[in-house]
Formats: sequence, C-alpha cells, structure tokens
Amino acid sequence: MAVTHHPLPAARAVFWYGCNLLRHGDILRLTARFLEAVGVDAAPRGGPSHCCGSPTEQNARITEAMGRRTISAFNATGRGKVITWCPSCHMNMADMMVPETPAHFEAAHVTEVLWERRAALQELLVKPVPVRVLLHRHAGFQPRVAVNDLVSNLLRLIPGLELVEEDEALPGHMCSALAGVPGALAAAHEANLAAMARHGADTLCTIFHSCHREAVALERGRDISVMNWVHLLARSADWEFRDEYNHLRNAEDPRAALDHGALERIGAEFFTQLMEPELRRKPVV
Amino acid sequence: MSLAARIATEGASMAQACTACGACVQACPMTHFAAGVVEADPAEVASGMRALLLGEEASPVALAWIGACTRSALCNAACPEKLDVALMMRFAGMRARGALDGAPLLPVKADSGWSARVKGFARLGLTEREQAEWL
Repeated sequence: MAVTHHPLPAARAVFWYGCNLLRHGDILRLTARFLEAVGVDAAPRGGPSHCCGSPTEQNARITEAMGRRTISAFNATGRGKVITWCPSCHMNMADMMVPETPAHFEAAHVTEVLWERRAALQELLVKPVPVRVLLHRHAGFQPRVAVNDLVSNLLRLIPGLELVEEDEALPGHMCSALAGVPGALAAAHEANLAAMARHGADTLCTIFHSCHREAVALERGRDISVMNWVHLLARSADWEFRDEYNHLRNAEDPRAALDHGALERIGAEFFTQLMEPELRRKPVV
Repeated sequence: MSLAARIATEGASMAQACTACGACVQACPMTHFAAGVVEADPAEVASGMRALLLGEEASPVALAWIGACTRSALCNAACPEKLDVALMMRFAGMRARGALDGAPLLPVKADSGWSARVKGFARLGLTEREQAEWL
C-alpha cells in the first residue's frame, strides 16, 4: 500500500542562528537550506546586530538593551516564529529577553522544527553515510529542548549511519562554557575520546557550533572525523559542502590554507590579529 | 521592571525560598573544577550562593562554585524545593561579575575583538549577498 505524506503547511519564520555560528558559514547555509527544503520560509538573521546579550552579562543594562534590540527586530519582521540554533540564545530569550521585551512570535529550536517535518526531511536523505557515530552530548540544554534525543533521532534517519548507544552527557550547555573553566574542556574531550574507543566509533558528531569549534582539532593525529549533525544530513542529501573551519583549524599553516583571494577580502592585518591566533591555538588534548 | 531590578528582586525571591540544603551542589558536575568546593559542606556552599542573591557577602567557596558554573542544569532536577537553581546561579554569576553595578567579585572575561572576529569569519565563509541579507 502506498504511503501518502501529508506535508505540514509552509511556515514563515526567522532562523536566528546567533553570533558565533558565523564561524561556520557551511553549517549556517546548510541549515537554512534544510529548513527551506522541508517547507519553512526561514529568513536567516544573526551576528552581533542580533545578539542575545550574553557576551555582556557583566552589565545588566547593556544585556537588556541588546536583548530589546533583537526582540524588537524580530517583532518587526511580522513572522510568527523564531527558529533558534544556539542554546545560549534560546535560553537567554526565555530568561532574559522576553520578560523585558514582549515577543510577538513563538520560538522553537531548529532540531524540533526538522523533526516535526521529518517526513519531508527523510525524502532528502537518499545517500548512505557509512559511519559509526558517537554523539557529543551536553546536559544543560536537554531539559529545555530534548536536543540530545532530537539529534539522535535525526541521525537515525540517515541510511547506513550507526549511532552508538551512549547516554552519558557532558557538563555544561555547550563547550564554550567549559572552555572558560580550566581543565573542564580537556576532561570533556578525554571522555569523548574514551567513549569513541570503547564503542569503536569513527566519527564524533557535534550538536552545537562552539562544540564543533573546540572539537575539530581532535582529528589531529587520530583516525577519527569530527562532523556536525547538519554535515551528516547534508552528506546523506548529497549536498556539497566544505567544513571551512575544520579545514583551517587543522591546516599546518592556516594562512597558506586560505582560498585564493580570501586574505585580501578579510584583510591581512585583521586576519593576523583577530583570526589566526584562534586557528593556531594548541588543542587542549 | 528593568533586567537589573528583576535580577535583584526575582533572585532574592528565589533565594528566600531556598533552604540551602546543598542538593544542588551535590548534583553539580563542576564541583571538582572549583577550588575548595568538593571539600566543603554542600549546604555551606549553597548558603553562600543564596547570600549573594540576597545582596549579602558570599563566601570564597560559593564564589568559586558560581564561577565554575557552565549551565549543566542538573541542579534543577536535584532541588527538593523545585527551584530554578540554574537561573539562580545565572543571576548569582551576573551579580558576582558586577552586572548590578557592584564591584566584580569574579573575573570578567572581556573579549574586545569578539564582534570583529565573528564578522571576519563571516567574510570568509559567506558570500557578500549572504552577509548583506543574513547579518
């Protein structure tokens, strides 16, 4: 018997990708493409001009003003839904922003939206991805949005992908928080590597951007891959992409690894002062 | 009500409902990264966090715990009073970093190049059109 899909109606939304996902243009672009492909007209908005205020938490007046500016901008779009990517932005919206500036929209995390529209998503996932994956989980966002379960379920839609059973979640809501506490990020990475070895996993799948940023260097000297869940979906959809951050972070010389014309576009001095030190940081483990 | 006023009033309100039993400290996965917390009485650590939210002096061990909070949220499930301890810790962290105009009691991580840096990565990874439309 033929299965008839009843696709959800097209929705107009804002895709609030946050600030630091700008380091990963490939993940941002692929996520926007998936949202569009499953029937969501989601206008991407983010960067420092749409900040949740969390980088300025040492000054409540500035945090509040930044949050007000962002909520007002979303209200002005007239779109009834804001789809979040960043757990920090998502929680900040509920805890710090909306209580001060009422929102004229509902919020949902991108994993919830894609799972809700999984029938349309699954039709895209045609190419087997033969990898054995450990999911890099954190504990902190899970009570708000069951993101560890949602991403696991999304990964299970990919033909050929094996997801190892490992329920232990790392502390924090994402790795940027751990990076600020001496020793915590290294302990998290060691725990992931041990779990990968225990389960024979060849791929570490990150959920959030800051985890991806911190984890990609684990590939150095190890026979493993670090991929974001969106990368794995895209590989199954047979969409081309290059993980640019991973490419530069793991390059022996990030400057030499830049594409032709990139240094001129960024500015050589700017790259030297603001970007190169991050790309050349020594891995924590 | 301003955010600063809400942090002060809502934080104090939650602190008054807190019994400082220490269950949140015992559930916290970050205690071994915070100097002196593992060795301390959990109730005393929690009491210091509660004091900070009430505008009182916080103990050094409570400040160490607050400074090591990474928003794991395991404290919420552990709280017998069903308080949003993660939000209490957030408010306490903001107070300890001087968000309400007091002198900072914890180091403030300032990254003056953050905004420019992420825009630099955007120039690297996004087309000019994407930057114009998405930023």
